[in-house]
Parts: sequence; structure tokens; C-alpha cells
Amino acid sequence: MSGRIAALAIALATIALVLAQDLLPRTALYHTWQYALALAIALAVVLVYANAARRGEDGPGGKRLAIAMLGAAVVGIAGLASGLLGPDTAEIVGAPGTVTPVPALGAAAFFGSVEADTLAAGSGGIALRRRNGPEIALGTGSRTVLGESLVYLEQRPAAYIDAYDAHGAHLTITQPTNPSFLSPVLLFRDTQRIGAISVPLDTFATPAQHRMLRALYFTPQQLAQFSHGAVTDGRAGLVITADDDAGHPLGITLAPSGRDVTIGGIRVHATLGTYPALAIAAAPPTWALVLGIALFLFGVVWSSIGKPGAAPVVSGPAPSAS
Amino acid sequence: MPRFLIIAALLLLPAACYSGPDPNQSAGGGGPAALTGAPAQSFDVSRTDGRTDSLARYRGKVVLMNLWATWCPPCQEEMPALERFARENAGKVTVIGVDQGEAAAVAADFAKQHGVTFPILVDEKQQYGRAYAAVGLPTTVIVGRDGHVVRGIDGPLTLAQMHDAVATALAQK
Repeated sequence: MSGRIAALAIALATIALVLAQDLLPRTALYHTWQYALALAIALAVVLVYANAARRGEDGPGGKRLAIAMLGAAVVGIAGLASGLLGPDTAEIVGAPGTVTPVPALGAAAFFGSVEADTLAAGSGGIALRRRNGPEIALGTGSRTVLGESLVYLEQRPAAYIDAYDAHGAHLTITQPTNPSFLSPVLLFRDTQRIGAISVPLDTFATPAQHRMLRALYFTPQQLAQFSHGAVTDGRAGLVITADDDAGHPLGITLAPSGRDVTIGGIRVHATLGTYPALAIAAAPPTWALVLGIALFLFGVVWSSIGKPGAAPVVSGPAPSAS
Repeated sequence: MPRFLIIAALLLLPAACYSGPDPNQSAGGGGPAALTGAPAQSFDVSRTDGRTDSLARYRGKVVLMNLWATWCPPCQEEMPALERFARENAGKVTVIGVDQGEAAAVAADFAKQHGVTFPILVDEKQQYGRAYAAVGLPTTVIVGRDGHVVRGIDGPLTLAQMHDAVATALAQK
């Protein structure tokens, strides 16, 4: 019996390891050799037990349990294959209103346009368009499986910037160091380490005023820890520094989301929120998971209820044929 | 049992083949040239004369759309050639300028000073700049009669280059 329980536990662990790929796709664990090794060992144990049980070495109950082991093996093989053949985990960051080809999916990702209010609400979306296929609209919380890939959205910090000169005239925002040169939406592709914390960092410019600005994104929780009584009313905020074209520093300020601040002679209004990135992770095929888990459950139930009129399920050597 | 050891070995072998991914992989960009053949995106914005306009309103015509800003020296240098091109090709090619991110009054003053007669759209939210993947200013986008991007060009153009840029679009039916 103990061998059977151990085999069942390992089969369950196999299924759990593979299901975790779907439930927590961003965890780096699945792409380590240790994960693959653990899955392969579990799979080997499951198959060895299934073969022994099939030959009656674990009694009639064990024979029925072989079906459950087969189901676990299907799940395990699907998980191992998705890791080996599926695409690497990737996060595609695109500026609102732009299109980015995604060769791994055979599709183009259309990053939805966003205004300050939709960015603050975190309601931006991405559409995937494939040749000869329907458009797939991805919103917050939606996930879809395309081929061997699990596709979903990852919300990232973002800021919509408006800037004005001393006369109140709107200024062009550029991002000279980013692919989205003319976007007023900062996507914070970089980070800055401050002590033990890592803070999203981005830069933008107002070329009409010859200003280069660096912005660090602080969450409301981080801002609450600021000393000197930073008043942000529980909002996220940017710490902004400004330099002129020659690199001379012109000041530093805290810009809470939705409030105007003046720095380096320009008025900056930052609306903070989130904007999605397209995340792609290897995923075992759904049909294999459903089939495998169904077989597993069927086998477990069948072996536990036993056959009417037959001897109770016991462990040990198979009864000899008479 | 030995054959299961072989199976186990076969299962373990691929584990060594696992390669580490780059979880921070990102993509994007490609510049305006990458949009050739794509449907031209359009947004309703104000013009310097206060009317609402958009690229989509010129569907059925060959359009040369120039993204620019008053603070951009190459845009300033290109503007006389653009104005001349617009006058010489009136009726064949529609030229529109799309100011990026600035106030209407600033764009209107510049247009007046430089004698610009073609429509200037004021794209304060820089929607056209984003949609056409501008990697700098000026950026020129040629849109065919069918509403698709024929060419996307980064940087200032001479008069001859403007003629060359629209040749393909004019040849299309």
C-alpha cells in the first residue's frame, strides 16, 4: 500500500508541477533545469509504477490505478514538452497606439491607444491580429492559449505626461532613449536601485524648452515612508529631476499623480497608472491537461470503489491465476 | 524493469536541453518604414484654423503627411520645400502637416511666419507620432488612395525626394 500511496503522491506532484505552469506562468522555476529534472524523475516513477501495476504486481486495485498513472504521465509529458518546444517566456512592452510583430505567435500585437484617464484606471488593452485568424482582444485578467503559448497581460507602471511652458502652451514630449520617441506615455523600461528597493525609471524631454527630465515611479506605499511630510493623499508619485541641454541640474521635485508641479521652468502634470505588456509563456496544451486529469481522476475513483462482488482492493503481490 | 530505466533515461536526457529564457525580452519600434502596406491610422484632431480634421477625411487621394514641430530645426529647414511641393502638386497630392504636441497658437504662428498654406493639424496628444512609429522629426508618411501606407520616411526630404516619395502612390490606381 505504501508503494501505491507514494506513486499516487508523485503522480499528484507531477500534475501540480505542470498545472503551476498555467496558473503561475511568470515564475522562473519552470525554465530551470532543476524543474525539468524533477518532472522527468516524477514521470519516470509514475511510468514504472504504472507498468508494474498493469502487470498486476499491486493487486486489482493497483491495476485500475494504472489508468490514473497513465493520466498523470500524459500531463507530465505535456508539461515537459511545452518547456522544451514552447517559446521562451517573454514580455513585450509596446507604446500605446503602436504595432509590434510577435513572431512566436505568428501575430501582430496592437497596443491600444490610451488617454490619461484610461491609464489611471489601468484599463488599456492589447489586440492580437493573425493572418487568417480572428482578432483576439486581451483585457485585464484575460488569458488565452495560442498553440503552445499562454498569452496574457502583465500590468506595468506607466505615466501619462503633459507639460506646459510658462505661458501655459502645451509642449511636445519626446523620449529620445526609447523606441516610442513621440509618446507622452512613460513605460518605465528601466529601474533604479535605491538601497534595498528597485524603482521604475524613465526619461523624457521637452525639446522646445531644452529640458531633459528623469522620472522615478514611487508607489503610494513607498511614498508613505518618505520623511519630510510628503503629502500625496495616498497617490503614487514621480520624483522628477530636470537638466538643461548642457546637463546642468535644474532641480528635483515630487510630482503626485494628477497634480501640477513646476520644475526647470516647465509645468508638468503626470497621471500615474498602469499599462499592459504582452506576456508570453510556454503552456502545455489544454486538451492534454484535460485528458490527463480526467484519466487520473477516473483511475483513482475506479480503484477506490472496487468491483462489486470482487475481492477488496489490497496491496501486495497479484493473486495467482487459478 | 530495465526498459523502464531506459525510458527514464530518455525522459531525463531532455532536461539537460532546457535553456534559460530571457524574461525581460522586449520588442517594438521599427520606425515608420515598417508600416508600409498597413492601413493608415487616423485620429480626429483640431486644425490651426479651429476646424476638426483627420487623415481619414482624405481617403481616395494620395496624401503626403508630414509630422513636425516648431522647435525642430530640420522641420523648419524642410518646410519651404514642403510648401512648394504642395503648391506644385495641388490636385494630385494632398499635403497635410501634423504638429506634434504643441499648442494650436504656436503652430499657427509658425505656419503664418513661414507662409504655409496647406492644412496644419494640431496633434497635442501626439497620437499620429505614436501610431506612425516616428523615431524623430520630421517624419513623412505617404498614404495611397486605398488608405494604406505606401511609404514611411524618417528625416527631412528635399523637393526631389518628395516627388520620388509619392511616385509609387501616384502610379497606383
